[in-house]
Amino acid sequence: MKQAIFRSRLLPWALAAPQLIVLFLFFYLPILLAFFWAFHLEQPFGGGSQFVGLQNFRRVLGSAEFWSSAGATLLYMVLASGSSILAALILALAADRALKVSPVARNVFLWPKAVASASIGVVFVFILNPYLGILAPLNDLWPGIWNPRTNAVHTWIMLFAANVWSAIPFSFIILLAGLQAIPQELHKAGAMDGAGPWRRLRDIQLPLLTPQLFVVIVLEVADSLSGSFGLIDTMTQGGPGGATNLLVYKIYADGFKAYDLSGAATQTVILMALVACVTGLQYVFLERKVKYDR
Amino acid sequence: MLKTTALSALALSAAAAHAADIDFWYGNTGTGEAAIQAACAAFNEAQDDHRVTCIGQGGYETGMQKAIAAYRSGQHPALIQFFDAGTLDLMLSGAVMPVAEFAPDADWDGYITGARSYYETSQGALYSQPYNGSTLIFYGNRALLAKAGIEALPQSWEGVAEAARALKAAGVDCPFVTDGHPWRVLEQFAARHGLPVATRNNGYGGLDAEYVFNQGPVAQHLQNLADWRDDGLVKLDADTAAGNYATAFNTGECAMMEGSTGSYGAAHAALGDKVEIAMAPIYDGYARHNTLIGGASIWVMKGHSEADYDAARAFLDFLRQDEQQIEFTRATGYVPVTESALAALQASPEAASLEFATAGVGVDSLNQPGNPDSRGIRLGFYVQFRDIFMEETQKAFTGGQSMQAALDNAAACGNALLRRFEQTYQGVALP
Repeated sequence: MKQAIFRSRLLPWALAAPQLIVLFLFFYLPILLAFFWAFHLEQPFGGGSQFVGLQNFRRVLGSAEFWSSAGATLLYMVLASGSSILAALILALAADRALKVSPVARNVFLWPKAVASASIGVVFVFILNPYLGILAPLNDLWPGIWNPRTNAVHTWIMLFAANVWSAIPFSFIILLAGLQAIPQELHKAGAMDGAGPWRRLRDIQLPLLTPQLFVVIVLEVADSLSGSFGLIDTMTQGGPGGATNLLVYKIYADGFKAYDLSGAATQTVILMALVACVTGLQYVFLERKVKYDR
Repeated sequence: MLKTTALSALALSAAAAHAADIDFWYGNTGTGEAAIQAACAAFNEAQDDHRVTCIGQGGYETGMQKAIAAYRSGQHPALIQFFDAGTLDLMLSGAVMPVAEFAPDADWDGYITGARSYYETSQGALYSQPYNGSTLIFYGNRALLAKAGIEALPQSWEGVAEAARALKAAGVDCPFVTDGHPWRVLEQFAARHGLPVATRNNGYGGLDAEYVFNQGPVAQHLQNLADWRDDGLVKLDADTAAGNYATAFNTGECAMMEGSTGSYGAAHAALGDKVEIAMAPIYDGYARHNTLIGGASIWVMKGHSEADYDAARAFLDFLRQDEQQIEFTRATGYVPVTESALAALQASPEAASLEFATAGVGVDSLNQPGNPDSRGIRLGFYVQFRDIFMEETQKAFTGGQSMQAALDNAAACGNALLRRFEQTYQGVALP
């Protein structure tokens, strides 16, 4: 490969400048501002802000509402990413087999990716409406057996259903690509040695799929922490009784609906730290198990 | 002296002619938006000096969010409509100027009591111009009530409970519906019973107010609502097939509701003359006080040129006219907000027509005798408090905690908000 040599020291910076400026303006500057506001009490209309040290953090960390929101966020992280990855893995394994419908399925399973999560939320609220949706007949038989508007457990189920549906395509395509890249010889050799499909799944496919699984887990977990906003805003608005008030939604509500810029910024900083921690831990503990060599 | 001032004013306005194009931001959608756009068009039609461009923001809260962002970057409009709960946040924001100082010649004393007191300073000077005013009234569905042999809408809560039992016995599944929003079940309830939501006359006396609704008759009423819901007499949004209290009433699912005068248009369109309205019920043994004005008012934002402000004054004058208010009432169901507009409406042959049905009951309710606790709500971060109140009481209604615990939690969180508000605006005097 031929290497380019820049004689001027400024030229590489100049070439990178547009990207760096955009990154700074839309990524680093807001983060810096969030840190600034987290240590200040900020008047909504910008009349003045005063330095208050760690007071905002003490207030946020001392409120029961924050902890229940953080708990719900972690629960959602585990269950939402777990359920969507598992579903995508099962579908990818099925689509990888030489079944008749595989080519169609590989195409069809990607479609939900084209639908915005807000639209998915609106549609699922209607599908799961306790009086008009597909489960309404159950309510006619046993009144009150399904009501995601008042029953927190039902609300969570509704949220997961919508999330799995919207999260499948991304994991599906990465996992399927990983499966397809596994050489056929390994399957054939395994089969000749008498390994059935389950055995080959355990000993050949899953171990060789770990790089893709790792990518999917890291991205899905990070996304479940910050990407649930569209679903929550359209489906539950944090209800009933704050049961689905995940941190991303609480930050929006506190900052934009309640003009609590300092509190919202403080929680943003905490959420950022959480995402960084979770991702870091995954690299430390999970990546060890990944086999990149084939 | 007077002559020269008049002359210089004339010269000023002549100089300003054609120079001033101002923006007015509002939050209403639907019929309210159409009526506001009609008023803007009428103003632009009526004179050549100024032009107002009226821009819908898609909601009160969105409007406030955009105004905050716009003000911080210097792109804000001269006039903006804000809703009731944001009153104190705006008064202390430093971004607005008191309308009574902005246009000292207008007849600010002509506003009806309930409309004035909500938007005036503790000293009694109006800070914003009341615009689309509504208040809480009581709705009944004549046909459903007749099923249970009820002739007239009950005027007391005891009567409502009794009527609800009769309705349930007569096979009406949803006797009374509410969404449990604090504007309906807390603020309007406390005001018309003359009871405080918070100390210091709901904050009119200073930023050091504390919530006290979690004790006494207000707490008892919310406990009653929860008990009545357990008995199947009261339904919440989530309990109805429609999923929304007003829709549930309009579709004939529910027989009675507490709602804004602004809901009348839709109710009448859906149910016709089956709709009955009256003042909201009070408990026996209480003297009736005024209800609070809901809806929104128009605020003048700082940082514009004198020419812009001339246009703003002209537009505010225009909206205050009796004919404009009556037209707005006709189109929306909001109530007239000045005594003269009300008198003009009552004197007109149209007064009895159904379009104006809420004006009588609504203004009557707003004009009941007041006390220091029925002036309004002057509490910081109040929009956030409303969300907390909803969340906590929802938990109580669905059985997660007792109503008393919910109210105690809401009061404690609310007090923390008030203290933080006090600290955020340290050194700013309450106007």
